[in-house]
Amino acid sequence: MRVVSAKDRETANIGTGLWKGIGMWAWMLFRLSGLILAAYLFVHIWVISQGRVGGPDSLDSLFEFFDHPFLVFLDFMLVAAVLFHALNGVRVILMDLGVGIRRHKAVFWICMAVAAGVLWLFAYKAIPFIL
Amino acid sequence: MRTETLDRSRGGMWPWLGQRVTAVVVIVTIMVHLVLTHYVAIGELSYDNIGERLAAGAVLANDVLLLLAVVFHALNGVRMVVLDWGLSGRGARRGFDVFLWVAGIFAVVYGIWALWVWVS
Repeated sequence: MRVVSAKDRETANIGTGLWKGIGMWAWMLFRLSGLILAAYLFVHIWVISQGRVGGPDSLDSLFEFFDHPFLVFLDFMLVAAVLFHALNGVRVILMDLGVGIRRHKAVFWICMAVAAGVLWLFAYKAIPFIL
Repeated sequence: MRTETLDRSRGGMWPWLGQRVTAVVVIVTIMVHLVLTHYVAIGELSYDNIGERLAAGAVLANDVLLLLAVVFHALNGVRMVVLDWGLSGRGARRGFDVFLWVAGIFAVVYGIWALWVWVS
C-alpha cells in the first residue's frame, strides 16, 4: 500500500485548487476537534472508573471539583467540539455518498447551523452553572 | 472534498468503512448520552445519579454501545492522523496497528468493568 504524506496530499489539493477556503478550515478544525475529543475520551473513562477504583466518595469528590464554573465552561466547549465534529462528519459522509458536492459550501453552513442550534439548547441549560 | 475521499487509498477500505459506520453509531448514542447527562441531569451528576440512570437497561446498552463505537472511532482517527504524517515501513505500521488494537480493547474492557459497579 502506498503511503502519501499530508504534505503531498496538500500539494495535490493545491494543484486541484481544493486546499483553500472553507473546505480547508473545516478539515483542519475536524482533525483538531477529533484529537481533542480522542484525548478527552480516555480521561473520561479514567474519571468514571474512579467510581469503582476509589469508591463512590472519590468519584463524587471529582464531580465536586468539576462544578467549578470554568470547568463547566470547558465541559460546554467539549459539547461544542462534539457537535462541530458530528455535523462536519455528516457533511463528509454526504460528500462520500456524492450528495451535495456542487453545493458543498451551502451543505457546510446548513450543518453548522444545525450544530449551533443544538449547542444553543445545551447552552441554555449550562449558562446558569457557568455565570 | 477531495481531501476526505482520498483517505480511501491510504488507510485501507475496512478502516475507512469502519470509521463511517462507527460515526453514525456514535452520533446517535452520544446524543442520548449528552442529553441525559448534560441536559436532563445537569448539576445533579453524582455516583448515585449515575446509578439511577444506568438502572435502565436501555441507558446501559446505549452507553456500552457508545463506548465500543467511540473507542474504535477515536483510535482509528488517531491512526488516520499518524498515517497522514507519514508512518513509513511495514513493520512500524503493523506495530502501530497492534498497539492501537491492544489500547482499544483495554479501554473497552476497562470501561465496561468500571460501569459494572452500578450494575451488580
